[in-house]
Amino acid sequence: MAKKYSLNELLIIAVAREIQDFENVVLGVGLPTTAGALAKAIHAPKANLMMESGIIDIDPLVQPNNIADAMCCRGYSCATDLFSTFTMTYRGFVDVCFLGVAQVDRYGNLNTTAIGDYDCPTLRLPGAGGAADFISYAKRTVLTMRGGEFVNKLDYFTSPGYLDGGQSREKSGRFPKGSGPAKLITRKGIFEFDQTTKELFLSQIHPGITVADIIKDVPWELKVSDTLSETAAPSDNEIDFIRRFAPAESLGKSLMLELATKKFLTEASEKITLP
Amino acid sequence: MAEQKEKVMTAREAVSEFVKDGDHLIVGNYTISACADLVFEVVRQAKKKLTVYSQSGIFDIEVLVAAGLVDRLVTTYVLRSGGRYGGSAVERALQNRTLQIEDYTNYNYNARLVAGMHGFSFMQVFEGIMETDLFKKRGFLGDDKYRVIHCPFTGKEIVVVPAATPDVCIVHVQRADKFGNAQYWGALGSVAAAALSSRRIIVSCEQIVDHDVIQSSPHHTIIPAFRTDAVVEIPWGAHPTEVVGHYNMDRMAYGIFQDAAKTKDGLAEWMDEWVYECSDRDAYIENYIKKFGQKRLNGLKAKDYFSAPANYGSAFSSAWDENNRERSMGITPAEVEILMEERGLFHG
Repeated sequence: MAKKYSLNELLIIAVAREIQDFENVVLGVGLPTTAGALAKAIHAPKANLMMESGIIDIDPLVQPNNIADAMCCRGYSCATDLFSTFTMTYRGFVDVCFLGVAQVDRYGNLNTTAIGDYDCPTLRLPGAGGAADFISYAKRTVLTMRGGEFVNKLDYFTSPGYLDGGQSREKSGRFPKGSGPAKLITRKGIFEFDQTTKELFLSQIHPGITVADIIKDVPWELKVSDTLSETAAPSDNEIDFIRRFAPAESLGKSLMLELATKKFLTEASEKITLP
Repeated sequence: MAEQKEKVMTAREAVSEFVKDGDHLIVGNYTISACADLVFEVVRQAKKKLTVYSQSGIFDIEVLVAAGLVDRLVTTYVLRSGGRYGGSAVERALQNRTLQIEDYTNYNYNARLVAGMHGFSFMQVFEGIMETDLFKKRGFLGDDKYRVIHCPFTGKEIVVVPAATPDVCIVHVQRADKFGNAQYWGALGSVAAAALSSRRIIVSCEQIVDHDVIQSSPHHTIIPAFRTDAVVEIPWGAHPTEVVGHYNMDRMAYGIFQDAAKTKDGLAEWMDEWVYECSDRDAYIENYIKKFGQKRLNGLKAKDYFSAPANYGSAFSSAWDENNRERSMGITPAEVEILMEERGLFHG
């Protein structure tokens, strides 16, 4: 019998499957690094994983804390700098990048800066980071969303997807032909962008999820592909890799914090022995 | 996407595949570690109508120009053998009006490569140049040699140079792996910018090393694998110039070249012996040994002076401790799965 898996694991596995062998891949921290490591371990051993701090061809040992994590530096091929990583993206050498999403609109434009009023936000999010530049110039961008939301209008326009849809991205003359978000992967399914309108549509659904589960998250009338397919269930190899490489991803952030806090407090109390 | 094909090849294969007639060809090395054998191979294959970039136009340019392969030259330095009473292939070609030249300062030349390497269309240089003939005298680049714009922040007049994006760079380094990660150290000059601004890159190296060597010293990599088209292992590939850590400049051999380069016939004779009649670098070194002896060649070899290894270590290399417990949560792999079940994390 196939192993049971969590939706978080399925999301990471779906992301990993977007990476092909020999591609130049820019990873953001968190979920994409686990996906990158998974791809390299299972189906894309020669994928070139990079992070914007200027580390090229990395082989992460554990899930990194940040984009310059020392645990990504035990054996990599080229040390450059942040500036050069972005200019090599600008020049078209990055095949695919992965970006997390807080708010996304129907044309794949992103907000990772603030929810609510910018000057007095309900939620102040991290900001642009590398997102705006990578989605502008990577040959393709894969968006991932866990806690984020679909909105009719972004509270803050951080990163350019297909702008106003249709040809507007290409007509602006500011982006390479063919670039832009290719897919959005969530815990429920996979979305693509219509070739003509550039509007997001549901193209693939994860096992056990219904279209109704997905439609209720989207504030506009979501289009669904006529050829809607189901995501292939993860293999035991893929699941085992994630649990070994990034068990915190399997358990989720809140459970990880709960367990880590408990461990820390136990260890601290063992140290406090009164004279 | 990086191609899956084999990149390790001979100089003959690399030049044949990646250098084309009419190319803008850049000699990546600056003064030292000149990619001598790659230059000679371009000459042997007689790639024509080249626009050549070389920051330090030394014997590399002399040989290419003397072979009649260069229509246009972008440089900062022309080698003249024997001072006022000497001569050079570049000078003779200018006198015969078979060569057009564009002179830049070292900094301005390099700025063009930096713009190209980063994908910018131009780069700011220092405005003092406007007082000079470098600025005023335009060669084949005409108005595009330099242009003047106004700084949008200060309103000041600034001088800019256009990006250079040569078709192909030939460059010699100490070591590379078979994937094309190229490592070079010593005087960095404009080597990385020359390579990275180019569309295609042919790397020759003293030694092809295991990928592990590269991975444990990523700070020496100047060209990442995905940019490199060909890797050629050529020991003594930069002779008579030096390669830090491998051999010194061969002053005698260089002197013989310089003496020959004074005259057209002298240089032609030298090229017959060292370029055309040597099918590759092995043959060149064989000729050298035959002529000057193995001992002389050995005398050029570098004595080791290693840099301290950089420590890339971290506290651990796995999420799991020696008791197979996850380091921050303190649980075993089996407990991870039990918890996932208990907390209802499994889907379906």
